Order: sequence, then C-alpha cells, then structure tokens
Amino acid sequence: MSTASENYIPGHAAAAPQAGAVKLTMILSGAVFALMMVFGLIMRAAQGQWIELDAALFYQLLTAHGAGMVGTAALSGAAIMWYFGGRHLVLTGGIFWAFLGLFLLGVVLILGAIFIGGYGGAWTFLFPLPALSGGAWEAGAAAAFMLGYTAIGVGFLLYYLELGRRIHTRYGSLARALGWNLILGREDNDPPPPAIVAAAAVTIFNSIGIILGAAVLAASLVHLLVPGFEVDALLAKNLIYFFGHVFINASIYMAVTAVYEILPEYTGKPWKSNRLFAIAWNAVLIFVMAVYWHHLLQDVVMPPWMLVVGQLVSYFSGIPLIAVTAFSTFLYVRGSNMTWDLASALLVLSVAGWSVGSIPASIDGMISVNKVMHNTMWVPGHFHTYLLLGEVAMAFGFMAWLVRGKTIARMNGLDRAGFAVYLAGAAGFVTVFLFSGAASIPRRWAVHYEEWLTHDRIGTLFSVLVVLGTLIFVLRFVARLGRSEG
Amino acid sequence: MLARALPSVLAAVAGGGILWQVTDGAQAFTSEAARRLDVVQSPRQVPEVLLEDMVGRQVPLLPQAGEVVLVEFIYTVCGDICQISAADFAEIRDRLRAQGARVRLLSVSFDPERDTPEQMAIYGDAHEADGVMWTVARPRQKDLPGLLKLFDVTVIPDEWGGFQHNAAIHVISGDGSFSAVYDTDAVEAVLAHLDGGQP
Amino acid sequence: MRMICLGLLAMAEAVALREAAAASPVQHVLVQMPLLVLAGVLLGWNLRVRRDWAVPLLLTALTAFLFWMLPRSVDWALTPAGEAAKNLSLPLLLGVPLRLSWPWLGPVLRGFLKANALSMLGVLGFLYTHAPVRICNSYLVSAQQELGFAFLYLAAALACLWAIPVLFGHPKCGSFGTAGCSRCGV
Repeated sequence: MSTASENYIPGHAAAAPQAGAVKLTMILSGAVFALMMVFGLIMRAAQGQWIELDAALFYQLLTAHGAGMVGTAALSGAAIMWYFGGRHLVLTGGIFWAFLGLFLLGVVLILGAIFIGGYGGAWTFLFPLPALSGGAWEAGAAAAFMLGYTAIGVGFLLYYLELGRRIHTRYGSLARALGWNLILGREDNDPPPPAIVAAAAVTIFNSIGIILGAAVLAASLVHLLVPGFEVDALLAKNLIYFFGHVFINASIYMAVTAVYEILPEYTGKPWKSNRLFAIAWNAVLIFVMAVYWHHLLQDVVMPPWMLVVGQLVSYFSGIPLIAVTAFSTFLYVRGSNMTWDLASALLVLSVAGWSVGSIPASIDGMISVNKVMHNTMWVPGHFHTYLLLGEVAMAFGFMAWLVRGKTIARMNGLDRAGFAVYLAGAAGFVTVFLFSGAASIPRRWAVHYEEWLTHDRIGTLFSVLVVLGTLIFVLRFVARLGRSEG
Repeated sequence: MLARALPSVLAAVAGGGILWQVTDGAQAFTSEAARRLDVVQSPRQVPEVLLEDMVGRQVPLLPQAGEVVLVEFIYTVCGDICQISAADFAEIRDRLRAQGARVRLLSVSFDPERDTPEQMAIYGDAHEADGVMWTVARPRQKDLPGLLKLFDVTVIPDEWGGFQHNAAIHVISGDGSFSAVYDTDAVEAVLAHLDGGQP
Repeated sequence: MRMICLGLLAMAEAVALREAAAASPVQHVLVQMPLLVLAGVLLGWNLRVRRDWAVPLLLTALTAFLFWMLPRSVDWALTPAGEAAKNLSLPLLLGVPLRLSWPWLGPVLRGFLKANALSMLGVLGFLYTHAPVRICNSYLVSAQQELGFAFLYLAAALACLWAIPVLFGHPKCGSFGTAGCSRCGV
C-alpha cells in the first residue's frame, strides 16, 4: 500500500470513487425515508382518528416503518461512510454493489412479508411473537421477513469485511486505526483521520452485532420451520436488542463521518484525530455494546447487575458523544466564518439533534423512570429526536453537499423554506411525542382514547411538515443531480 | 463465461438437491422427525407378537378385528417423561372411552428384565391403567430388538441407572401397519387422527 | 509425503475414537469429525487445482459440511453405513475440497465464511442448550446440552483467534507499528 492519502486535502482534491453508486443509494434512501414518513403520518392520523385504519394494517405499517427506517438509516449511513472511507482507502466497488443488491433483495422480502403475508410482529421480531400470530399471518410471512433481514445482514457483513480488510491493509491493525497510538502517546506519523477511526469502531461493533443477530435470526427461522426447536426467550431478547441497538446506533456513527469530512470545507479548519477523540471513539465502541441492557430494564428476570450496568453506561455513553463530536462541532463552527448553506446547516443541526436526543434517552435509561416511561410515547420521542434530527438530517445534509455545485452558495429561498419546514416539523413532532410520553400515553397502540386525540392531531400536523421538508430535500437532490458533475 | 460458471452452478444445484433430499424436502432435520415422516409415507407392517400383560395374560400387539392400537414404549421406574406421558395417555383413554371408540392402548416395556407383571401392575395402578382398554405389557426378550428396530425407538442408559428414549405415541392402524407417530402430549392430534383416519 | 502421513495419522486417530464418539456427542462432533476433516486437509495439502475449480469445490465442501451438521446425520453416523460414509466423506468431500479451494478465496469471502461459522455455531449452541426435545436419539439430553455449550466455547475461541490478528496486527509486523502491513489478509 502506498500512502496515497497522506497529503489528503479535504474537498474536491480528494477522489470520490463510486460516487455514482453512493448517489443512487442516497436517492433510494431519500425515497424510502419519504415513504416511511408517510407511513408514520398515516399512523399518527389514524391514532388521531382523522382517518379510518384497520388495526391489522396499523401494525403492518408500524412494522414496515420500524424495519424500513432502521434499514434506511443504516443504508444511508453506510453509503456516507463508504464515500468518505474511499477518500482514505481503496475500496472495491463490486462489494458495494453486492451490498446494495442484497439490501434491495431484503427490502423486497420484508415488504412482501408485511403487505402480502400480513406480518405485523414489529421490527424487533421478538420471540415467540413471529410464530404466534393468532392467525394474523402465516409462519411463511414471518420467515420471509427474517430472510429479508438475513439478506440485509449478509450485505452489511460483506460491506464491513471489505472495509475492515482495507483498514487493516492500510493501517496494519484495527487497533492503530482506532487511534491507539494516539491514546498511548506513541509516535504515529500517519495517524488515522476521524472518518477512519469511526469506520474502524463501527466495523468492529456492527460486525459483532450482525454475527449475533444472524445467530438469533437463524434460530428463530429454525423455530418457525420446526416448532419443536424452541429458543430461550430471554436469551433471544438479549441477542435481538444487542443486535438492534448496535445496528441503529451504527447508522448514526457511520453517518457522522459526513460531519467530520464535510464541515472542514466550510470552516476551513481540518478535523484531525487527537488523543481525546480517539479515547472517545474507543469508549463508544465499548459503550454501544454494553448499554443495550437499558432496553431490558423492565425484564425483572434479568440479572440485576446487567440492568445496573445498563443504567450506568446510559449515563456515560452521552459523554464521549457530547464531549467530543458535539463540543468540537460547536468550537469549529464558533471560531470560523462559516458559510451557511443547506448542507452545513443540516449537518450542524444533526449534531445538535443527536446530542439533544441523548438526553431523553438517558432519562429513560434510569431504572426508576423506565418502569413508568418505557411503554409510553416518551420512547419514540427520544429516538425520533436523534434519528429525525440526527441521522436523517446527516443524510439530507450529505445529499445537499453532494449536489452543492462548484462553489458554496448561501441558502436560497427554497433551501431556507425546506430547512425551516423540516426543523419546525421535526422539532414539533418529537416534542409532541415527549409530551405524550410525559402524559403517560402508551406507545404502539392502534386505537387511542378521546383524551389523547389532541396530542395525536398536533403530532399529525407536525409530521405533515416533516414530510413536506423531506420532499423538498429529496426532489432538490434529484433535480440537481443532473447539473452537478460531482 | 457460461462454461466457466457451469461447474459452480452444477455444484450448487447438486448440493442443494442433496440437502433437500436428505432432509425430506427441508421437513426433517432430526432422526425423530425423519422417522415420523417415513412411517406416514410408508407404513410398516407389524409382526404378530404376543406380549405379557400386568396379570400374566398374553395379549397381541396387532389390532384385533378392526380396532386401532396406540403404543407407548416405557419402563416402569421411569422418573420423568413416562410419568407425564402416562397421564396424557390416560386422558386419551378416557376421552376415547367416552366416544366408544374401538381403540386399545398399550404401554410396552422395553425393560422386560426388571418390569415383571407385578412391577407393571404397580405402574398400571398408579396411572389407572386397569387392563381393560389400556394395559401395560412386556415383550419377550428375544422379540425386543426387532420391535425397537421396527418402531425406530432408541433406548440408551442414562446417568441414573434409568434410560432415555424417544418417547412417543405410535399408532398401529386396523390393517396392522404402524402408520403414525405423535408427541406424547399431543392429545388432540391423536384424537383427531383416530376420528378422521380410522379405517 | 509428510503431510500425507500426518493426514493418515489423523484419520487413524479419528477411527480409533469410534467408541468415544458413540459415548459422547462432544467427542463425536467436535473431536472425531474435525479430525476427519483435518485428515482431508492434510491429505490435500500439496495438491493444487486451477482457479476455475475453486467455487465448485467450495460448494462441495459446504454441502458436506451442512449435511453433517444435520442432527439426523449425527444419529446416522453411528450406524455401520453412516460410519463408513462419515469416515470417507468428511476427509474427501469436505477436507480435501476445502484445502483445494481455500487459496483461491478472496479475503472478503474468507471473512464471510468465518463470520458465518461463528453465527452458525451460535445457532447450534442456542438450539442444543435450549431445545426441549432430544435432537439426537442416540445421545442423552445432558450430553446434548454439553454439546451446545461446547459449540459456544468453540465460537468464542474462534472469534478470538480470528479477531486478534485483525485488531492488533500480525505478530510479524510488530504490534500496530506505523508501517502498513499488506501481506496479512483478514
């Protein structure tokens, strides 16, 4: 390996291999985000009793929305990290196409399972629900859903194997790519840039997540085929939440590479890895895997120490994120004379949204709070904050940056309108969720009591704004693709 | 291109075909499942064997005059599964008796050395097998291996001086063929089988 | 020649273990069967094939592997016919083809196979420790659970074995020095 990227200069100087594949992925992501948001809007409107929706269809939409959003967040994050990883590594394009193909195969299977097979057992496929539908769907539908996950998992596995292999080739070991030389104070004349530190960490924890996820998927599939083969429900739940937690977090940790690589173009200051940054990412690597227990705080049969660890790590896991990424972003932006275009505005918003979203998450991560809050709207409130205002904003920011043209221009009227509508819609939407949670309105209920309708209807109105903002972003991206040579 | 891919495609097709074949079309992954599938597809003729029951009488294993025989393999000092399955067997007997069905239930010991008629009577008492519709019986030692092989029952000694075996309810239909296997607790399935499939 | 002798030795060792294999599934599935595969790998050590044959050979090996992973095959392997099939097919249809195809497999495919092996061991561990039914009629339930835990320990050991060089670099390259090391694939 040569040190081709040693003199890396951010921006146009760096090659952008496979930009076509990444752009296609972002179009798909944008389209699916929009479609899933419409599903969300329909569910909110149905809860608010503005439209009639069959309860079975509600749960199918809930399942599609969950699986679709998690998958698309991961897809867009993966495309972003591939794009910026390609600045520092030589990546094989064929692997990305295989990844995308397997992902789309998975999407087809999942959509078929839900809307043809009627599967409505939520994206978490918690054992033994997929096998106990009470007649709502056949075992084949649940199996197709899980096979869809498996296809997506295989795609991601290939993606991480290629990435890990290239990082390993370029840096000699993943430990070095994680910045251990920086942490240990050793000399390193070619330290890994932030995007590589992030890529190394995500590669490690998400590969572990996928391998364990594949195990529980295969065991659940065997159970569906041969009902005599039971799996231990608690172990299955642990594995599913480990996999699910790690996977959705990985989507944000992949997408954040856009912040590391793009913001320097605006601030003029390169974003470099330093010791604190490396320590933070190594902490993230551990915390992401150790914190999943906070999803199981209501499972009284869990060993108490695990729940205590879940609560403690919940507190700590905000620190590396807020201390390093959010605080650094703040410093970078404050000290510079930054140009605010749609891309930079969305990226800064995304870091803010991600950080703010971690606060209600930490609150829900307290055992005493969790007991009363975890089944309320508080929980969708917190994860919509760091997804809608975090990961999705990162993806839209990246998309806006991809088609920025040759010069950075300030926001025009449509950009401003889109940004304002999206921000207002998303902020209002998640606030309603959090308020509803605080008012003890349960989550995942297809039919709501009269007293809750005001909440639902305000939420519905805000979600209309989110969909509008999203449509502006996505259509703007597609319209500009033609005229930018990228 | 095509010629280069051909061996791979053939290997994949052959491999998939073999695995499909050996799992009976992805239906049977364990030998227990395979046995159950096989007897349904090709019922096995049961030989004329006489068993000795709790009171020392000789009873035939084969169904007599159009009746159906349900067989469980047991050993009387079994500490776990046989006790539970005996309770389910009793329930099947009660419900069949209420229906007036022509069915005989047999708990056949695979440990004829220890399971003397007295010993079998204790087991019968404990589970209300009164010898009328349901009796406990043992084969002659020389018939045992053939029976275990015919029914594909594997008996292995466990750590506690007892045995572990693939416990199940075996159906011998009126024509004298061993034609179905059910879980010991599949009471409803057995009753449905007798209801629908009785010759 | 030396490899062939070693292969035959492994084969003899495996055949000598037939009593132990009948007594315990751990010795059967995790000692005797791997020894037979190892015998095939050693027998084929010095053979080379053209690249075109790599994928068909890999598929052959996978088929043999999946076949012997079936619980009913494990039961069957204790009958005379099954035992002969096991002693012949594990070296010749799994060990040798695996050895022949391995040099041609790219790093991503190798990593994929390894990751799948870990997942599948996890699944087997999962099923064997928790199945309320006996999976193999020839073995006790307690032995079945032992086998399940053995699968999990093996998965953990393999995960460490495979992950440590990737994490900390190949020992020959010095622990995460500044020089990139291109010769150690994943």
